[in-house]
Amino acid sequence: MGHHNPDSPSHLKHYFYDVNQQYETSKFAMWAFILTEVLTFAGLFVAYIVYRSWYPDMFVDAHKLLDVNKGLMNTIVLITSSLTMALAIWAIQKNNKKLSVVMLVATFIFALVFLGIKYLEYSHKFEVGQLPGEFYSYMGPDAAHLNNPHIFFSIYFIMTGLHGLHVAIGMGLIAWLIYSTQKGNLTSEYYTPMEMIGIFWHLVDLIWIYLFPLFYLIG
Amino acid sequence: MSEHHITPLRTYLIIAASLLFLSGVTVWVSYIDLGSFNIVLAMLVATVKASLVAFFFMHLLWDDKKNLTMFLMSLMFFGIFVTITMLDTAFRGDLGLNPETKDPINKRAAFYDTLPLTDTHGHPVDEHSDEHHEDKDHH
Repeated sequence: MGHHNPDSPSHLKHYFYDVNQQYETSKFAMWAFILTEVLTFAGLFVAYIVYRSWYPDMFVDAHKLLDVNKGLMNTIVLITSSLTMALAIWAIQKNNKKLSVVMLVATFIFALVFLGIKYLEYSHKFEVGQLPGEFYSYMGPDAAHLNNPHIFFSIYFIMTGLHGLHVAIGMGLIAWLIYSTQKGNLTSEYYTPMEMIGIFWHLVDLIWIYLFPLFYLIG
Repeated sequence: MSEHHITPLRTYLIIAASLLFLSGVTVWVSYIDLGSFNIVLAMLVATVKASLVAFFFMHLLWDDKKNLTMFLMSLMFFGIFVTITMLDTAFRGDLGLNPETKDPINKRAAFYDTLPLTDTHGHPVDEHSDEHHEDKDHH
């Protein structure tokens, strides 16, 4: 019935001609998903651009309430996690299961550190009332001359919040990768899920690369 | 799957080191006042970093070019999105529809109840004077 070669690997679905076609199809579909992700964030970047062009002073003033050190720390953490993710794939390509798992666990821990630092930032802002829209209530000495900081914080919380959600989802996916790799389901013969989740994880890094200067490093 | 490109370890380490270095650079230059060139430089550095991530970490350099095409298409659509939106929002002032003069958005935040309203430059705004829309009052 099937055109299956009895020698073909078990992970090859019957509707693909060979493993390479299956791999390339998965990857192309992943990039189609990345396109939708870019366009999701595009809407928020457009909101940012429009409001920054309308209220340039607001962005310059309000961004001073953000902690550059925490932002830079998160940048370093996320770049390092991107490296460990790439090395996890490199290790599985070399069929080094143990190193791959170690690198995945490192990636997971870096993601946790990122969210931890983000939690410190958010909880401080909730405490002092540097919140979106009508919930804004911060009246500290450095806020007396601020212009519309609540608009800045609306954009800040939506963009970093959606990004943080992606980090959290990425952590769930990486946890599943750790389990699958440890169990021996992923090998140098078949590691497509790791490659795809890797692309997702690098996208999370890529978006942060823009968020960091746009929020923390305004002139 | 032996035909897959395996990126050498050295490449990954060099790319990660470059990304960390450029992060430092972008923080450093943000403390130098270059006027409106600050944002250009920041976006330039971010784009170099993003390209390193996309081409090396995301393997686009060695992939079939259809994946790169898909990615560039998303950026192209983003460009169209920004351009067409800005064609509207950037010229509203010409029509007297600029929100900062028409309807100050700072009305709503709680802390403004205790502060006089200001425009985006910090100058006081009188809620009741609306000289930009006098034409409407003549009806």
